[in-house]
Formats: sequence, C-alpha cells, structure tokens
Amino acid sequence: MELTSAIPGRLETINTFKDDGGSVAAVFPIHYPRALLRAFDILPVEVWGPPGVDPSQGASQLQPYICSLVHNMLAFLKTGGLKITDYLIVPHTCDSLQGFGSILIDFVSPRQPVIPIYIPRGRRDSDVDFFAAEFAAIYTRLQEITSRSPSDEEIMGCILREEQADMLLAKLHKQRDGLPFSDLQYYRFIRTREYLPAENFSQLAQETLSQAGESQRNSGIPIILSGIVPEPMSLFETITDLGGMVVADDLAGCGRRLYPTGKSEEPFQRMAESIIHAPPDPTRGNSLQERLDHLLNLQNISGAKGVVFYNIKFCEPELFDLPILRKGLREAGVPSIPIEVDVNDPFSQQTITRLEAFLETIE
Amino acid sequence: MPAIQSLGIDVGSTTVKIVGLDAAGEMVWHMLEQAEPRVEHQIERFLELAKGETLSLNGIPLVSTGYGRKLVKQANRQVTEITCHARGIFREFPHSGTLVDIGGQDSKVIGISSAGKVVDFMMNDKCAAGTGRFLENTSSRLGVPLERMGEEALSVSEEHPISSTCTVFAESEIISLLANGTSVAVILRGLHRSLVKRIVAMIRTVGIVSPLMFSGGVVKNPAITQLLEEETGEEVVMPQRPQLMGAYGAALIALELAGD
Repeated sequence: MELTSAIPGRLETINTFKDDGGSVAAVFPIHYPRALLRAFDILPVEVWGPPGVDPSQGASQLQPYICSLVHNMLAFLKTGGLKITDYLIVPHTCDSLQGFGSILIDFVSPRQPVIPIYIPRGRRDSDVDFFAAEFAAIYTRLQEITSRSPSDEEIMGCILREEQADMLLAKLHKQRDGLPFSDLQYYRFIRTREYLPAENFSQLAQETLSQAGESQRNSGIPIILSGIVPEPMSLFETITDLGGMVVADDLAGCGRRLYPTGKSEEPFQRMAESIIHAPPDPTRGNSLQERLDHLLNLQNISGAKGVVFYNIKFCEPELFDLPILRKGLREAGVPSIPIEVDVNDPFSQQTITRLEAFLETIE
Repeated sequence: MPAIQSLGIDVGSTTVKIVGLDAAGEMVWHMLEQAEPRVEHQIERFLELAKGETLSLNGIPLVSTGYGRKLVKQANRQVTEITCHARGIFREFPHSGTLVDIGGQDSKVIGISSAGKVVDFMMNDKCAAGTGRFLENTSSRLGVPLERMGEEALSVSEEHPISSTCTVFAESEIISLLANGTSVAVILRGLHRSLVKRIVAMIRTVGIVSPLMFSGGVVKNPAITQLLEEETGEEVVMPQRPQLMGAYGAALIALELAGD
C-alpha cells in the first residue's frame, strides 16, 4: 500500500513541529501522559533504543546485564542522537530504566531537563490517585521550566485528541485483517503513534480505515506476538517468509498500549485511569493471572495457534513472568515459544530455525 | 535391496547424513560423512550415490533438514531438525517421551506426545557449551582422542567440578587444573558432568516425560549417557542408529509427500 511511504519519519516530524514553535521531548518506554506534554506544546517522540547504534558508549556506565535497549538509549544520547530534543522523559518502567534515569541526572547531566515518571504497580484506586498526583507534579515542573500554565480545559482538549487517536489505534488492531498491509507494513504504520502528533496520526488512521474491507491478508499460520518491542523489524518479514502471520499482539509498545478512555472529568485523574486500565503489562505490576487471561482472550478472538514470546535479553519484567505464563498457556492447550534477542544483533539463523520449528509444530 | 522410495538428508554442522526408505518406511540405505567445507558439492555427490542405488532419482521425493537444509536446492521440502528428529524417533519408539539430541554444534530437547507431535522444544543458545563441540575443543587440549573421552571420564569416580559451561572459559579452567596437577580423568569427568548439567537444565524447561531418548553423534560417548541417567534418574534409551534420526525423519516426511 502506498500510504506507508507517505508517512513522515521521526526527524521530519520533529523539524516540522519545531518550525511551528513547539518543542520536543525524547520519551523513553513505555507509559507516559502524552496529553500533558502536548498541553505544554511539547511533542513526545519515543526512543526505543534505537537498534543499530554503537552501544559501546553506553557500556561505560551500564552493567553488561542491562538490556540492549537501555544500552542503546544511553549510547544514542551520548553520541548526540537526541540533541534535537528539548526534554528527556524517563518513566520508571523497570529497574534498568530507573537506573538509566539516575545515571542521566547524577552523571551524564545532559543539556535537556530530565523528568522522571514514577509508575504505580497495580490497578487499585490508590494507584490511580498516585499516578494523577505524579502528573500534577510533572505539570508543576513543566510550568516552572516553560513559564506556561495550560488550563484544565486546554489539557482536556489535548486528552480528547489523544483519546481519539487511541480509539482509532484500537480500531486498526481490531480490523487489521481487512487492511491492505503486510505484517511489516502494519507495524511500521501503527508505530508512527510513537512520534506523530495525535491529530496527524488520527488523520492517517482514518484514511487507512476507510480502505479496510474483507480480509485482504494472505493465509498464514496465525500467531500472537508478545514481548516489549518488535525489533529488529525484519522479524515480520521472517515470520511471513516462514509461513506465519501475526494476528494479534501483546507487545508493550503496541497492543499493551491500547489505552481505554478515562472516565473522570478531572484531567490528571482521567489520564491516570486511561493508562492504568490499559491491557495488562508487567511493568505496571499487573498480575500473572491478568496477563494469562488477556493472552487467552486474544487467542480466542484472533484464532491464533500459538504465542511467540519475543523477548529482549535481560528484560526482567518479561522474563520473570515467562515460565508461569507458558505453563498456563500449555495447560490451556496453547503452544508457545520463547525467542530471545539483542536489538543490536542481526536475526540469527538459530532464531529463524526456532521460529520455523515452532510454526511447523502448530501448523 | 528393496527400491528406494524416498530420501532424507540431514546437513549438520559436523556431519552430513542421507537416508533412503522403502515403501514401508524402512531404512534401506544410508550414508554418513564428516561435513566438507563446500557442502553443496558433498550434497551433489551424495545424491549421485543415491542415484547409483536407485538408477534414477526422478520422482523420488527428497526432504532436507539440519543446519544446512537450505543449501539442498534439490529438496522438495526443507523441514527443521526439530520436526524431523521427532518424526524419526517416533517411528522407532511410537509413544510419548523426551528426546535429547546432542550434535556437533547444537543440542535440542524435544517433548513428544503420544501421537508423535512436538509438544515443546528447546535448543541451545548461541554457544557451543552443551554440544559436541564442547568436548571436541577440550579433547586436543587434554591430549585425549574424542572417541576415548567418555571411557576415560568413567575410569574414575572422583571428579573436579568445571564451574563454567562456556567452552572458552572451560578451557582456561582446565589449563589451571592441569597446572595444579589434577589428573586428566578427574577433569574429564567434571567436564562431562558440566555438559550434562546444561542439557538437564534444558530438559527441565521442556519437562521430562519418560522415557528419556537420546540421539545425535554424542551418543557414542558412554559418559554422557551414564551421567544423564544419574542427573535425571531416568533410564536413557537410544535408537538403533542415533546419528541418523534427523535424516530418517526427513525421509519419512518425504515418503508422505510421495503419497500426497
């Protein structure tokens, strides 16, 4: 489909936004209040590594057992990859990212202000209240830095725009079967949500959805992809070449961010509700049972024949859950396979053989 | 010799195996050689030899498997070694079980259902530890021929733990032990234990279903079998031709293609 080639890239998007007078925040994974940043005319642009940078610059301050995503983030920052950005937002997603945030503040001292976000671990009312209070604190911090004070109405306007984009993203996931995209094109497209302004993403999503029809995808062995991020993206070509087809995902950067609309009329509370009630994610402390139920529900809806746990080496939140999740799936008759990768390594022949053998098993 | 009805070729990292089956799926011809650097030429030669056995390869289905399966351009289908090993072993042991295959550069554990399906599997990581290469590497360092290593290890009851299962680190550890006067046999027994412990970790991940079946080139090493039994408490059973299970499974799949 032609649409993907017309989508602006990260750098082009950043330049356009800055030319219009806005500023840009480099946001590290995974959950953060997009609308709050936009209320201060700050465009959040997510940094998932990126893969393919020389990680050695990050190695000087990080232990070898920290994942390659965090190694790359530090290396990318230190080699000037983020100099175009004005803020660094570091959610405390896991121990590694929390450590990364501390290293930035205590040792690296970048030019940009570093804004950490503390993530509550659970879905209790107190978690929502904590998160809302955290957003209020970030508001105050941004108010001090920017000398701007967006009103509740302005924040709510931004929230509604993000909610519209999230709703369309959910629709894209639901109707993926009818979209004229290969798996690779589909994920390239939905991952534009990582950097496009919500209004631009919504426009593209609506155009794409208007072309959705009956199932347009080639038949393949249906699988669910679970993990943090589908990098390297050549993963999708490999799955297609091996006769597989991703019919649903439980990826932290994709399917676990299908944020439902918040209910509260109070902006901070509403943003907190939305993130906290998103599909279960170990980085938000959701229970194994919630995760298992979610995976089984995805399998039931999508007709997937198995689950590929595509994990980044040393990713503790994912790896701690893995044995019990696999056991639960096995007991429910759903085969699964763990695949471990380093985002800096090319896709190895061994990894391909594992995927191929798994597809043969569930065919 | 009954006419060959299907062929399976297993292009492994260390050896290349080819198997011919009759219409009943019985192995009627096979070959096994060390893998040559230009394996494509070796495959051509193998197929020429197969032609010599059958007069013509026309219409005889061929399935390739193993690390170099994609190099077999003549194959009707390429299937992973996981599926092929499971198929081959199930033909000989037609019940559920757990297959351990230790080859030259990879090792795998495959859980097999009572219907012969792969239930779960695990392969070694990008590392030679837990494979035949682990033993091969230390063979020259210790001056013990590969085929004698197992017997040498079993000649003593004492063993020195080799703490690292990384092939390179193990080698440095062995050098230190030799320098400290530790006997070769004691080191060897520890080395075998270390390899087996790595395999047992993989078995536990997949889950043991009796019997524990063992195939691959490392089957020839009696110490691995004995220590595998000690570590798991399971009796280990072996097929008649343990090195040919992948090629045999490939040939069985080829035979099904002939029937399609």
